[in-house]
Amino acid sequence: MRAMRLIWAVTLGVLGLVRVAVLGAQAPQTPSRWAQPAAELAGQITDILGPGQAQVTIRNLSTIETSEIPIIRRLLEQDLKAHGVLPSGAESANAIRVTLSENTHERLWVAEVAEGNATHVAIVHVDLSVKQVAVTDARMVLRREKVPGLFNRIGGVVQDNPILAAVEINGHFVVMYADRISIFSSGTGGWTEVNTFLIDKRLARDPRGVLLASADGGSFTAYIPGGECIGSYSLPLAGATADSGWSVRCQTSDDPWPVYQSGDASSAPALKAFYNPARDYFTGVVAPSIGVDLPAFYAAGMIPRAAGGAALLVNGIDGKVSLVDNGAVKTLAGTRDWGSDFAVVRSGCGMGTQVIVSSSGEAANDSLRAFDIPALEATPVSGPLAMDGTVTALWTAQDGKSAFAVVRNASNQYEVDRVTALCN
Amino acid sequence: MLRRFAISFVFAAISLTAMARTRPHYGGTLRVEIAGDAWERPDGIARRLVYEGLTQLDASGTVRPALALTWDSDNNSHRWQLRLRPGVHFHDGSLLTSATVVASLMASCNADCPWTTVKAVGPLVVLTSDSPMENLPALLADDQFLIGMTATADGKTPVGAIGTGPFQVTGFNNGVLSLAANESSWQGRPFVDAIEIRVHRPVHEQWLDLSVGRADVVEVPAEQLRPAQQQRLTVLVSSPVTLLALQVTDAGALANVKLRGAIAAAVDRSAIYNVIFQKQGEVTASLLPQRLTGYSFLFPTDRDLNRAHELRGGLTTGPLTLATEGDGAMQLAAQRIVLNLHEAGFNVQMASTGAQQADLILRELPLAAGEPAAALEQVMRSAGIMTPMTAKAPAELLRAEQNVLDEKKVIPLLNLPRAYANGMRVRDLRLRADGTPDLADASLEAGQ
Repeated sequence: MRAMRLIWAVTLGVLGLVRVAVLGAQAPQTPSRWAQPAAELAGQITDILGPGQAQVTIRNLSTIETSEIPIIRRLLEQDLKAHGVLPSGAESANAIRVTLSENTHERLWVAEVAEGNATHVAIVHVDLSVKQVAVTDARMVLRREKVPGLFNRIGGVVQDNPILAAVEINGHFVVMYADRISIFSSGTGGWTEVNTFLIDKRLARDPRGVLLASADGGSFTAYIPGGECIGSYSLPLAGATADSGWSVRCQTSDDPWPVYQSGDASSAPALKAFYNPARDYFTGVVAPSIGVDLPAFYAAGMIPRAAGGAALLVNGIDGKVSLVDNGAVKTLAGTRDWGSDFAVVRSGCGMGTQVIVSSSGEAANDSLRAFDIPALEATPVSGPLAMDGTVTALWTAQDGKSAFAVVRNASNQYEVDRVTALCN
Repeated sequence: MLRRFAISFVFAAISLTAMARTRPHYGGTLRVEIAGDAWERPDGIARRLVYEGLTQLDASGTVRPALALTWDSDNNSHRWQLRLRPGVHFHDGSLLTSATVVASLMASCNADCPWTTVKAVGPLVVLTSDSPMENLPALLADDQFLIGMTATADGKTPVGAIGTGPFQVTGFNNGVLSLAANESSWQGRPFVDAIEIRVHRPVHEQWLDLSVGRADVVEVPAEQLRPAQQQRLTVLVSSPVTLLALQVTDAGALANVKLRGAIAAAVDRSAIYNVIFQKQGEVTASLLPQRLTGYSFLFPTDRDLNRAHELRGGLTTGPLTLATEGDGAMQLAAQRIVLNLHEAGFNVQMASTGAQQADLILRELPLAAGEPAAALEQVMRSAGIMTPMTAKAPAELLRAEQNVLDEKKVIPLLNLPRAYANGMRVRDLRLRADGTPDLADASLEAGQ
């Protein structure tokens, strides 16, 4: 009986060991993102210390989560052992003090290796991981999508040159910078600049511009402070690349700029406004006349009214947002948090048309938010959509269903985001 | 320590990126008050309003084009050529040319230039040196190399300060420097029409003027950040952009590096930080701050009086003199250092403010560049160490910094922020990489 018990116990024990071994073999073996820097640091430490024993301590001065520290310690100790350095207690004459640190560009792991009275330092760098931005939602959700390749960089170097506007036309993106108009073609990895035309840069500290595609998609008009440029595409000569068919002609002009395009891109601009190039805003004089005096403004757009017809929404330079409806200018409530720019989009959700507005707050990054305007009050219908920097321009896309935003990040890099309002 | 960094970064992030999302208005007069002189180097507030450099640093300390549009180097950074931005004019209407730039650069430095020769070659400015100038674009953004007119077209000395910057000087009356917007600034006309800078105004009077609406932008010394916050002033705080350091002569009795080491070990940084600077900034024993390198903790900051006595080894130096380049907290810090050194057996006396011949000088060294090698060269140059910095990797930079610090001619004490308070009508005020306010991009609320 006793022998039977012994055999049973041994069998259970063997089975248990087999189970542990099997489970261990099945455990996921995904390499940790810390494995490479840990191996590199262990290698450098070993070069200094050579095989032997050392007390290993780790402290964290970085933004690495505390929960990651045991993993890093385990990796480091494994790598040190592999190099012949055995972690020991405080009695050891050698000490390895590892500090997980970081600067504004990168993470650094620094090991102070003490052998008697001498201390040597080993350093490895670890790339900072990018944090993902979460988007909150409400009745609608705003979704943003970077237009890949559209930025103010040349050869990886950020240029001192803001993006003012962009328009998609005939399979190309036309981008207006402060000093040039560039044509981008779609390629692998995003849009690629294929042609560029310098324009006479008007000096402005808060530069703006408008790009408008023609109805047939074969040309565009660029409105710049004090001038106007016409871009057109014609079939290139035989042997030339397809992208060489673009040409741009500019002339001095004080003609009014389009501030509102009807939903039908094939129609002419519904409203134009005179622009003050010395002060970077619209004067309030519009064409055709709408029968009321408008204040000087930064942005304007047309929104449909529940009772039929449409009203003009104007964001004045005094911070007041007005609605011009039935020949009367009325102040819109609920706009305290509005910035200077907005874009009207036909989402098909809720009231059908919403206004996407930049924020006026003092947060590090701007946000966009969709509003309904049922009467004389703007009602938020989406949560704020966090952007990666300051929104410097915002306009309705040609399809009328989405908007484009130019965002300048903390590194002075400009990017173009397409923002779409989705029903929730 | 980490928490302090985090708080500093938050302040820095706010000061560097915060801006109103409504578009700025044009017009109005911005009233600024300062305790010092508007033109004093290295950071007189009028200097970067009137003058511009060939390059500039953005808020993160990255080098950007300014009067030079592009630049490139060859011969292993021994030769740089910079192409000027076309169509830039001085305030008197004359065109900025490579010749005027060269004249200005030649007047800006003598033996301490980072280059050996500078010359105009057509539209290019060409700088050459016997040593590699890896960090020249960043160095050219320094206040020392701002471009000003040195001679008029007819060869005469210009009257007053003439630059290409966003503001031009219109007068100086009753302690107020008046500047007017430069309508043809290549960066665009500034938003405000004019700036009035009231100079030599004590800080408490600045704050009083701010509270009653007589000033729009005033100074907040680092040691007064806490009272400013208690008074609910709207304060912009930079990241630590100056290095408070003790510069030690290597002549006379202090030619002995052990004696200089004894001085370094005797200084009580914590007392200066806690008591005099009211826990603002960061205690440091490294030239570059943690935010730039990530390794500044390797330099011990604790006072070690035993080590100081050990290094001094009974040697006497005779009376030493210590001067400061500032008043207020700087004077107090200097007096505290004198006491520290007395405790280590040194006989030190205070010299008059600004004395250049003192054995020890308590100084604030600028730390504007965002790239560590450029920042290290900048701070070393400010301390009179003209060694070109070619190190790039963290381990190389650490070695270079250790080599400088081992000489004990510069003893880092604190990294300090800069701060300004602004009134309610000021919009979009931001701080530059050097912690000074960028008044050209500020605007005033409409109707005020």
